[in-house]
Amino acid sequence: MTPPATPPSRPARRLPWASLVPSVGYPALIFVVLVAGWEAGARAGLFPRYLLPAPSDVLARCLTTADLMGWHALMTCDEIVVGFVLAASVGVLLAAVIVFVRPFEQAIYPWLVVVQVVPKVAIGPLLVVWLGIGFLPKIVISFLLAFFPVLISTMVGLRSVQQDSVFLLRSMGAGPLKCFVYLQLPNALPQIFGSLKVAITLAIVGALVGEFVGADHGLGYVLVVSTGTLDTVLMFVAFVWITGVSLLLYALVAVVEKLCVSWHVSQRSGPLTRLF
Amino acid sequence: MATDPGSTRSAERAGPIAGAVAVSAAAQRPHIALAHIEKVYGSEHGAVTALQDINLSVGRSEFISIIGPSGSGKSTLLMIVAGLVGATAGSVVIADRPVAAPVTDVGIVFQQDLLFDWRTVLGNVLLPAEIRGLDKAAARTKAMTLLARVGLEGFEHRRPWELSGGMRQRAALCRALLHDASILLLDEPFGALDALTRDQMNLDLQELWLTDRPTAILVTHSISEAVFLSDRVIVLSARPGRIATEVRIDLARPRSIDVRDSAAFVAYQHALRLAIGHP
Repeated sequence: MTPPATPPSRPARRLPWASLVPSVGYPALIFVVLVAGWEAGARAGLFPRYLLPAPSDVLARCLTTADLMGWHALMTCDEIVVGFVLAASVGVLLAAVIVFVRPFEQAIYPWLVVVQVVPKVAIGPLLVVWLGIGFLPKIVISFLLAFFPVLISTMVGLRSVQQDSVFLLRSMGAGPLKCFVYLQLPNALPQIFGSLKVAITLAIVGALVGEFVGADHGLGYVLVVSTGTLDTVLMFVAFVWITGVSLLLYALVAVVEKLCVSWHVSQRSGPLTRLF
Repeated sequence: MATDPGSTRSAERAGPIAGAVAVSAAAQRPHIALAHIEKVYGSEHGAVTALQDINLSVGRSEFISIIGPSGSGKSTLLMIVAGLVGATAGSVVIADRPVAAPVTDVGIVFQQDLLFDWRTVLGNVLLPAEIRGLDKAAARTKAMTLLARVGLEGFEHRRPWELSGGMRQRAALCRALLHDASILLLDEPFGALDALTRDQMNLDLQELWLTDRPTAILVTHSISEAVFLSDRVIVLSARPGRIATEVRIDLARPRSIDVRDSAAFVAYQHALRLAIGHP
């Protein structure tokens, strides 16, 4: 019948280091040039160093404060991770319930929108009054900021299935649960992971804001203290740690995404990305 | 071959092609029997009747095609047979049992292949086995055999996006055939393929169908495809879809692509074109 087709051979992989040059080398080059220019500007006295310290000052302070800052970073990291995990799990579960139980959607969805439009930062002080200056208020703010995008994206993803795909599964005898497991959830994964990337950055903002409002630990607390003493070098040290923590957490989410939705078109759009 | 309550009227209407019209002979009980099917879609602008008084019987192991102008409710009719869309009035009886829920003794191929990107080709073909909870090893063997028969050997562990349109639709066909359903429903399965691929798919489909002989209903826009594959071609009128006529195709099987150049084939095509109302 059909002439046997031979599977085309996959394109030969390039050596791993060859692809590292553009993906790591180019951004690193930009970083080096900017920092070198900044250092040179500071040494030439183009700006007062008590306002904008030289990179070398920041680096020196980073090294001397590594232990203490590491501890603060760990505290903040805990808050972010707990807030994010809560946001992700509650967001996905609530979306599934909303999509499946129509009356539930009608009852709760308007209130979720109200919760979303209320500026969470504004209830920070109230949370401090209620929950003290420990971990809890930070986790709550972090969760509140991060959870809405997960909820919305998951809802959209779960609903974006073709009628014919549902027909196909139902003709195989699948009920609503199997339709969810075999079709809706995997179909929604790319959107869920997209929202998780937004959620992790919002969770970071939430934890820092929580620490601004009232705390005795964390990177946000260090920022507030160093502002009080006009210690700009320490502020930059805190920036460095916050950036490091953020990049690390974002990368974790991206890696998990890569593992879970490697099949999705967004993860394999090689020709498109090469255009830019 | 099949009892068709509508055939008297069809014969009256058929006029010039009366010779080709199936003369019903109740040789066996129909596998699929549609009686007085009506489908009305409600919309803001009022009700639209998609199908009206459809009476149709399909014998066991018969291959029929449904053709008709766009919007004549062909696909809707197929979904009604599958129990996936409810009819407004009328009844569907499959193997002497009235259809009230989605029919599961059925394999469906849609115009889109609907392969899941998150599964390999083999995983997609095995989907019905997983959902039905069939024996994994046996299903796997069957899937490999089917894939090999449609020329997809070596592609089992590829992802759907690595395949061409024709290959994807072949994988979808394998998925529909995996569980040996007694009914095969084909909703314009090759509509999106180029002419050459389509010819090959028609040959593949014929061969696969001849092996197990499921009762098959094909919805298509292509008159030549309908004649090539079918025992009987049903022509629906423009909306509201009614059975305008039906033509029995008496061509020996297996049919080769060359059969399309034969005088009989051309005559069938001509008769059907007249019945649809094309010039």
